[in-house]
Amino acid sequence: MNRLVRAELRRLFSTPLWRWGPPVALLSGGALTAMAVLVGPEHFDPPMPGIGTEAGVRLVLSLIGLTVLAPALFGALAVTSEYRHRTITYTFLFAPRRHRVLAAKLAAYALAGTGYGLIVAGSAAAALYGAASVRGVAIGASPETVAGILASLAAAMAAYTVIGVGVGALLRDQTATLAVLGAYLYMVEHLLALIPGVGAVYPFLPGGATAALTQASLMGEAAVEVSGSAAHLLPPLVGAAVLLAYALLAAAAAVLLPMRRDVT
Amino acid sequence: MHPPHRLEIRGLTKRFGKVEAVTDLTFDVEPGRVTGFLGPNGSGKTTTLRMLLGLVAPDGGTARIGGRRYRDLPEPARTVGAALEASNFHPARTGRDHLRVYADMLGVPTARVEEALALTGITDAAHRRAGGYSTGMRQRLNLATALLGDPPVLVLDEPTNGLDPEGIAWLRGLLRRLAGEGRMVLVASHVLSEAERLVDDVVVMRRGRLLATGPLAALTADGIGLEAAFLRLTGAAA
Ligand SMILES: Nc1ncnc2c1ncn2[C@@H]1O[C@H](COP(=O)(O)OP(=O)(O)OP(=O)(O)O)[C@@H](O)[C@H]1O
Ligand SMILES: [Mg+2]
Repeated sequence: MNRLVRAELRRLFSTPLWRWGPPVALLSGGALTAMAVLVGPEHFDPPMPGIGTEAGVRLVLSLIGLTVLAPALFGALAVTSEYRHRTITYTFLFAPRRHRVLAAKLAAYALAGTGYGLIVAGSAAAALYGAASVRGVAIGASPETVAGILASLAAAMAAYTVIGVGVGALLRDQTATLAVLGAYLYMVEHLLALIPGVGAVYPFLPGGATAALTQASLMGEAAVEVSGSAAHLLPPLVGAAVLLAYALLAAAAAVLLPMRRDVT
Repeated sequence: MHPPHRLEIRGLTKRFGKVEAVTDLTFDVEPGRVTGFLGPNGSGKTTTLRMLLGLVAPDGGTARIGGRRYRDLPEPARTVGAALEASNFHPARTGRDHLRVYADMLGVPTARVEEALALTGITDAAHRRAGGYSTGMRQRLNLATALLGDPPVLVLDEPTNGLDPEGIAWLRGLLRRLAGEGRMVLVASHVLSEAERLVDDVVVMRRGRLLATGPLAALTADGIGLEAAFLRLTGAAA
């Protein structure tokens, strides 16, 4: 393995922060899915299709798409924590061609984000089938469909981790990055989804593209409630491509931006 | 270790907004000697070192090590070992893991980490998180980081800050020895009394400009101390 990538992995695993990753993944995948299945979407307010239908299964799994802030923040810390603790000075001294450092961070965090996504997907699968059998309800989607959705959600977690690295490299300040990512993912995007007309761009935003992976979104359902019309989600593969494009854009920003800025 | 390198600073200039941090600075540093890079607070020493190390982009001029810019060196961190301010560590990472991260970046075996720890006398603290280190221990960890690549050039910014008298004496011995091996040792300091006992050559800055350069002995030739010589220089320039 490339020595810079190995250094980034060691950097990641040599502070206690990463230990939050697996439990957060279990909460975002397993716990959230188990809860949604046990409650049953048919008991949501407003009621939605139950998990005996494919739409219900997609809806339950789409909730996982709302937890992407976690991997995004985790990715952002790859860069912001280096500026915060000024380790960036040594890092750029040891690799003055800065784009290589950022490329190594992207690779390491794409790996870590994939690991995170696999825990999310695996625990969600266990929770989906486990909770359904507890309730004695048959799942209204084929195992292939479920596997496909979960695999793309796992990939989405990796993509958001990479997006986080890019946003972190762009803003550098830890607090600002956390605030911007949180506000964007939980407010701006949802508000856009609700505004009639503007809602048309929603499918092309990261959140809309993530919703396309499951072909369901709580926000879309809410938009129907509020405005009477929902933006049509992109087909899953196109959604995946859009998400990948954001990740590549963020990666390009991460690699290009720190090049000439002074480190004082 | 690589062959000895010369350092050439030519017309180096940097402004931060209205502040002229460094202006048209030109000097050379020779290998095999300890060179004191001296000047009052805010005279531009740290800014010069950061430009030399590619951390800050100069507005004008060049800084070359063995004829190349830092970032163009084939193996920058094995050529120049640098220790800047006293805290460039993640507080939750142990001293040993800090060094291992950078040893990975260099591609040196972890055995080199233990050598650097031993060389700087912090082996006993290496398993502790750097956030709990005293200022002197941070200085030593900085120095250990700089020495990881066994570099022929050492650049240290205020390395005696936070060291006790014993530590300063130890550092003096270490830098002497490293220079004796043919390495270039450049030490920025505003503490003249300490510098006087540590350095062979001096480069003196004031308000971002070069004030004097040459062997310490020449500057203090008429029996006056470095501090008096410095005050005379700055007085003459005022
Ligand atoms: N990032 C920055 N932004 C604005 N001004 C800066 C920046 N870095 C340095 N300066 C200014 O440049 C000048 C030179 O600062 P520098 O840190 O190089 O001095 P120094 O000789 O290292 O001082 P000291 O002995 O206190 O360490 C000072 O006036 C300082 O305020
Ligand atoms: Mg300084």
